[in-house]
Amino acid sequence: MGQVQGRPRSYGLWIALAIVVVIILAIGGTYNSLVTLDQAVQAQWAQVENQYQRRADLVPNLVATVKGVANFEKSTYIAVTQARASVGQLSPQVLQNAANDPNAMAQFQQAQDKLGSALSRLLVTVENYPDLKANENFLTLQSQLEGTENRISVERRRYNELAQAFNTKRNTFPTAMIAGIFGSRFNTKAYFQAQPGAQNAPKVNFP
Amino acid sequence: MIATLILAAALTAPPRPTNYVTDNANALSASTVENLDAELKRYEDTTGHRIVVWIGQTTGDVPLEDWTIKAAETWKIGRKGKDDGAILFLFMQDHRIRIEVGYGLEGSLTDADSSRIINETIRPKMRAGDVDGAVQDGVDRMLLTITPSFKDQIGHEVAAQSSSSDESTRSIIGSLVIFLIILTVLIFLARRGRGRGGAGMWILGSALGGGWGGSGGGGFGGLGGGGFGGGFGGGGASGGW
Repeated sequence: MGQVQGRPRSYGLWIALAIVVVIILAIGGTYNSLVTLDQAVQAQWAQVENQYQRRADLVPNLVATVKGVANFEKSTYIAVTQARASVGQLSPQVLQNAANDPNAMAQFQQAQDKLGSALSRLLVTVENYPDLKANENFLTLQSQLEGTENRISVERRRYNELAQAFNTKRNTFPTAMIAGIFGSRFNTKAYFQAQPGAQNAPKVNFP
Repeated sequence: MIATLILAAALTAPPRPTNYVTDNANALSASTVENLDAELKRYEDTTGHRIVVWIGQTTGDVPLEDWTIKAAETWKIGRKGKDDGAILFLFMQDHRIRIEVGYGLEGSLTDADSSRIINETIRPKMRAGDVDGAVQDGVDRMLLTITPSFKDQIGHEVAAQSSSSDESTRSIIGSLVIFLIILTVLIFLARRGRGRGGAGMWILGSALGGGWGGSGGGGFGGLGGGGFGGGFGGGGASGGW
């Protein structure tokens, strides 16, 4: 008789255990997929940083080249040098946290956009200096700069797409509940905001 | 941002080309298409790099670079893992030229090289109305910039290049070396600065950047099945005539 009474009790135990296992597996699976998406965003962020760094590395050469031209408008390259300096002063914390922290992202983007527009003004000014436009060294730098601007926009777009994929997963049911358990580990990702006119950044058309 | 995402989603690339040369604008003569197809096939057989030519009428309202990177991302020209594809685009109605370079060829066909090929070789001939010559000479110069030793196998006389290009190549190599040194230092600093996340992120970044491709395509037409899976990151140059 005792056996017969014991059976339903052990069934109940097994069912409870199965439910717990299923919940753990569900949480684990969700956690893993969030980690995968998060890593993709982080990796893409590194690509974005690389391209911005590449642009910053071109600045000293560019400034040296235009400086060598007689009567070149000083204010334009001084603005570029200053903007380059403020990009260089971005703290490692900002660089590391930008994807997860809207404030850091805004700071990063503000500094980079400032450099972008200073460069674009400089390239417009160059139009007034025919000698410079025929200078082989300058043309090389200009094409590298244009190429880098294009890469930046490609990597930024890919970053936004991956951030959107993460955020969509992160903020939909039931992942949103599970993500909440892990606190700030899975913060919503920050996006790059399109600046008015940013798409036509340094692009000088030859006549 | 939302507008950009919508634009990117709305933009659909044309189907992946089935030949080395796709001339949707009937801009090239039949013999040039035939020559280029044979030359580019020989080039791929020799080096493994896949270079294709795509001629259309217009990109419509879409900016040139947005259109071409979308096409490059969709077609994945070049081998998976090597990302060694490149595409020469011409838009007859827009009078625009673009060279898209896969990650793996960015070192040997730099943005400055692409820009020079467009401005020194393709543009003058397009302006003179010689589309066949523009594309033939442009392709020749792309191949020889990536693989100088291919000169013996190109199968015809190659148009003379400006004498300054040797010197500028050297200066490009010089700046590339400096760039690599700077990059190494920066990576080193980043590793120290960022703690444990930094190095891993960088390695992951380069690994991911290298292989954006999905699965390889099946074999059809003129293009073999092996050369699909190449990643592009916006390298190259744009121009017009």
